[in-house]
Amino acid sequence: MDFSVVIQQLINALTLGSMYSLVAVGFTLFFGVIDLINFAHGEIYMLGAFVGLITVGFFAGTGMLASHFILVLFIVLIVAMVVSGLAGAIIERAIIRPMRGASDLMMLLLTLGVSIIIREGVMIFYPNGANPQAFPDLFPGGSVNLMGIVLKYEQMFVIGFALLMVLLLHVLVNKTKYGRYMLAISQDREAAMMMGIDINKIITFTFIVGSALGAAGGVMNGMYYNIIKFNMGFLIGIKGFSAAVVGGLGNIYGAIVGGFLLGFLEMFAAAFIPGGSQYQDVIGFAIVILFLVFKPSGIFNEKVYEKV
Amino acid sequence: MKRKLLTLMLVLVLTVPMVLTGCGGESQSQVVKIAFIAPITGPNAAIGLGMRNSAELAVKQANDKGDLPFELELVPLDDASDPATAVNAVNKAASDPDVLGAVAHFNSGCALATKDVFHKYGLPAVIASAINDKITQDGYDEITRVISASEIQNVYAGDVATTKFGAKNIAVIHDQTDYGKTNAEQFIQKAQENGAEMLSFDGIAVGQQDFSALLTKIKAEDPEMIFFGGLATEAALIKRQMDELKIPAIFMSDSGIHTKTFVDIAGELGEGALCHGLISPIEDLPKGQEYIQAYEAAEFKEPHEAFGPFAYDAANIIIEALRDAGTPDRASVTQAIRDTEDFDGVLGKTSFDESGQTELNSVITYVVEDGKWIPLEKSSFKEQYIK
Repeated sequence: MDFSVVIQQLINALTLGSMYSLVAVGFTLFFGVIDLINFAHGEIYMLGAFVGLITVGFFAGTGMLASHFILVLFIVLIVAMVVSGLAGAIIERAIIRPMRGASDLMMLLLTLGVSIIIREGVMIFYPNGANPQAFPDLFPGGSVNLMGIVLKYEQMFVIGFALLMVLLLHVLVNKTKYGRYMLAISQDREAAMMMGIDINKIITFTFIVGSALGAAGGVMNGMYYNIIKFNMGFLIGIKGFSAAVVGGLGNIYGAIVGGFLLGFLEMFAAAFIPGGSQYQDVIGFAIVILFLVFKPSGIFNEKVYEKV
Repeated sequence: MKRKLLTLMLVLVLTVPMVLTGCGGESQSQVVKIAFIAPITGPNAAIGLGMRNSAELAVKQANDKGDLPFELELVPLDDASDPATAVNAVNKAASDPDVLGAVAHFNSGCALATKDVFHKYGLPAVIASAINDKITQDGYDEITRVISASEIQNVYAGDVATTKFGAKNIAVIHDQTDYGKTNAEQFIQKAQENGAEMLSFDGIAVGQQDFSALLTKIKAEDPEMIFFGGLATEAALIKRQMDELKIPAIFMSDSGIHTKTFVDIAGELGEGALCHGLISPIEDLPKGQEYIQAYEAAEFKEPHEAFGPFAYDAANIIIEALRDAGTPDRASVTQAIRDTEDFDGVLGKTSFDESGQTELNSVITYVVEDGKWIPLEKSSFKEQYIK
């Protein structure tokens, strides 16, 4: 196997893994704080991509896409993250909070229902929403070419931005008041309440953070593949969930590692197993099953316990 | 016991009038329905909606003309590109006695699943744009098709690739569907006959977005051409990612990517992509302008896409058959469709052979230039590709 081919595959995998990580972090945050598996999270990712596309639409024709692409890119990202963060907060406040304390199955069905509403809503209300939508190039199409290896500027940006988000999240969770409140709630909600933490506020805050990260992933997906679809959230949702499970649900770093691991596995299945490309999307689920059977606590040994 | 009797009487009282009125309504009704079954949602919704609008246009024109002894109605049903959904849709259409014909299917997988169902109910179906060879091979009277079967198209593509372009090393990708895989196999068979070598043969999943791993692998094989059997969305992503990975190979595909969707998604990187269209550009056809103007005048929300004319002709063939059939029942309509002789539609003059296959064949090579599909012969890529 050619060395440059292996490096190229690694770069491809890193890019894919970055997007998975951004989604997986959301799953793990929600699970950590309120033990909820939020299947609507994939749709938030899709919503982020569509909000991004609409925002780009405002700049079309102004020439700013070419002259100030960095500025446009950040505006698009920020708008998508804010809108989707708010959507996440609304879902939490309006639908999940009133049902808090219901059985896990109920909550699961609830989030599945919300996900269908968002998905079909976009399909119906976005003009021509049943079709795949072309997402414009937000980034100059250039690339660094070295010994047959192609590293696109876009890829650098996707990987770099995902790492930046991970770093910010790390700082948020460990160094800020709100982050510590989140940790406290995930460790023991009642004790946190007794210490005077407003848990409702912190849970909503968690949804904003998780949803905003997911939306950032959606925009990345749009600008990288240049295509978004109303039903793109389903598969990515399941994959993000898989990544979070592999890393250990509830563990932020586990989700990030799980996301990258899933990216690598998919890429290497397609690249090095003969006929593997047709199973690329399936491999992640196989891994998740293996983890659930043999190591349900995930790579990072997140505690799995039954509440009494 | 008494209660049972009462219940029975109640049921009778309630249902008898329903049955009566049902029968009465039917004998008076002058409505004949044509079912339309194609993907209105799902990955091929764009194409399916263009087809639905075209069939609707045909029905509307027939009603406006007013020379039919009954009112025509189109019943659009969704197969979502899924064979199981397609079978359900056909069952639903066939269970309505007013439905006397069907314009059916964009996806070969769906048509293969439903052809036996159509036959079972004796419901005549004109297959609009599913091209798998096997669809018409059973010799069912009910199944006819207005589009060339895939072999004709792919043998042509294999010849173009090898004899015209001189490609010797070809990597083949397909989307694992009946449609895509058959296209890829028929293409490569012809290309190999002509002395080309197949470097690899890989399947991908419909809906997959990232092909960089596969393409990086293919890049190392250094092919002159990548042939893809499948549909527009995946094709556009493959073409984009090929260019981004700096693979210098020619990209060629089948008629399934001959849509605006491909050009929209592939954008600038779509330039130079090749496909094999089943007809010349619609506007160049004798009756093409007429169709385009009528379609525009009807102010549909969605563009007709490449396969609109096929659904339009299929619907018109059924309408003609309804006019010719002595009695409006399924058997005589089936016979009347089979007897279609030189039906003068947008596609050309359609007649069916014994298997129900159209005798029309007008496959040509298209290329993307300046964001549009144009015939290769008319493009500036002609010199670059043809050796």
